[in-house]
Amino acid sequence: METSIDVRDLRKRYGSTVAVDGLSFEVRPGLVTGFVGPNGAGKSTTMRVILGLDAADEGSALIGGRPYRSLRAPLREVGALLDAASVHPGRRARDHLLWMAHYSGLPRRRVGEVLDLVGLSSVARRRVGGFSLGMRQRLGIAAALLGDPPVLMFDEPVNGLDPEGIRWIRELLRSMAAEGRAVLVSSHLMGELEDTADHLVVIGRGRLIADTTVRELLETASAGRVVLRTARRSEAMSVLANAGAEVAATERDTLTVTGLPAERIATLLGESGLPVSELAQHRASLEEAYMELTRDSVDYRVEVAK
Amino acid sequence: MIRAARGEWTKLRTLVSTAWLLLALAAFTAGLSALGAWSLDGRGCTGPADCDPDLTRFSLIGVYAGQVAALVLGALAATAEYATGTIHPTLMANPRRPIVLAAKATVVTGLVLGAGLLGVLGSVLAGRFLLPGKGFTPAHGYPLLSLTDGLTLRAAAGTVLYLALIALFALGAGLALRDTATTLTTVLALLFVAPMVAPFLSDPAWQRHLAQVVPTAGLAVQTTKRLAELPIAPWAGLGVLAAWAAAALVAGTARFLLRDA
Repeated sequence: METSIDVRDLRKRYGSTVAVDGLSFEVRPGLVTGFVGPNGAGKSTTMRVILGLDAADEGSALIGGRPYRSLRAPLREVGALLDAASVHPGRRARDHLLWMAHYSGLPRRRVGEVLDLVGLSSVARRRVGGFSLGMRQRLGIAAALLGDPPVLMFDEPVNGLDPEGIRWIRELLRSMAAEGRAVLVSSHLMGELEDTADHLVVIGRGRLIADTTVRELLETASAGRVVLRTARRSEAMSVLANAGAEVAATERDTLTVTGLPAERIATLLGESGLPVSELAQHRASLEEAYMELTRDSVDYRVEVAK
Repeated sequence: MIRAARGEWTKLRTLVSTAWLLLALAAFTAGLSALGAWSLDGRGCTGPADCDPDLTRFSLIGVYAGQVAALVLGALAATAEYATGTIHPTLMANPRRPIVLAAKATVVTGLVLGAGLLGVLGSVLAGRFLLPGKGFTPAHGYPLLSLTDGLTLRAAAGTVLYLALIALFALGAGLALRDTATTLTTVLALLFVAPMVAPFLSDPAWQRHLAQVVPTAGLAVQTTKRLAELPIAPWAGLGVLAAWAAAALVAGTARFLLRDA
């Protein structure tokens, strides 16, 4: 499969801060790729470098095999929403898109089409200064779609959206990928991408932490863990520990067991005459898997006072 | 380049502030010029041998007010992009920065030349109609202000060019400094440094040197009388301003091309 975005050994430093530190990943067409990491992990910097706004110190970021700065009609090749605030408050919504269309030689009718697509037609003649954050996000998305590009990048697109808006944008991302486009969407909350992303690129402190499918990541995080509910928790704990399992009391009446298959656990407890009200493979949430992955790379963790 | 220029033109024309600034440029220039011509009183003059004011220059005095609108327009064309963040969509639409810069400079220059031309024509017309009523009549040896007179034409055309160069100077400074307040303060200070500092220079030679190097040396182009007394020749003065604009544009271009957006 061809790659739509190809980031290779990317390094970017601002003064003494290393924002991106040897990052490599690929974004493929037809998939929604989630770009995840804690705040300050380097997601926005990477996107700015891909778009040629900031220059890489080392490495490369290519779109369809070419650097952004060499693209002749970039808006027809990549559409991006970096910051919904990047609009002049004194300009009408329609005019914001119109100057971009003129700049790239796109036909004027595209302005009306993308305004329809994001549901802003009724406010097209209003000045952007009076827009809510959600409306600005929609305008930014309209700008990204202006050139009908095969590659789309959205930096934290659900910020400031209401639940209805969040559902709308998820459906939009899915449908864009279903049309064969490559979609890269960043978020600092993994849960936001749970039902949306096919592939995940997880970064922390500018480095790659995981480059995997959503399914694989969930399986790894859930691997070999069994959740057990029993009324006689402490006895069950000692029986399983004696059999070599690692046992943790997670909730009232509930144990999480690692190191023994579910069938073996059932047999052991049955032999000891201990009641079991529930026995199941643990299913990790994406958020959980992500917390596990990024535990060591959170820059701004709150230190708990002792 | 044509697409980029069209984009920059759409960008400027869709802001209400652009229309106001261009209107202010033309109206301030013509309005203050008319006031300048009206304030002269030559009714006691018997002829040029008796009193010989530079009527053309007085009739173009409004450029002092008009230039403020020109420099704000030029500065904002650069700094508003950084203040609002629209520099990002601009460079996404066209990542070739030299072309973006050329498009910006072309559109700003075109708009200021147009508005400046209107302001200057208004100024000359005002002088032509007001001055005879103040005693400066052809019968007394003061010909009507006319662009067919070579020196007056030079003054008028030079004033239009002066306004465009001021706008480019501010555009370059805006690209170099990126912040609106910093840019306006810097450019205004440089424009008004001569009249502010000159009184503190006791040595006339130093006053003269100062007048030769500041951006406002460009106003020498408005002079039509006693040219030999000027600290700097008319076109050379405009050249000094052009050098300031070029220097600002080089600094602005360097930052625009070499630094992250």
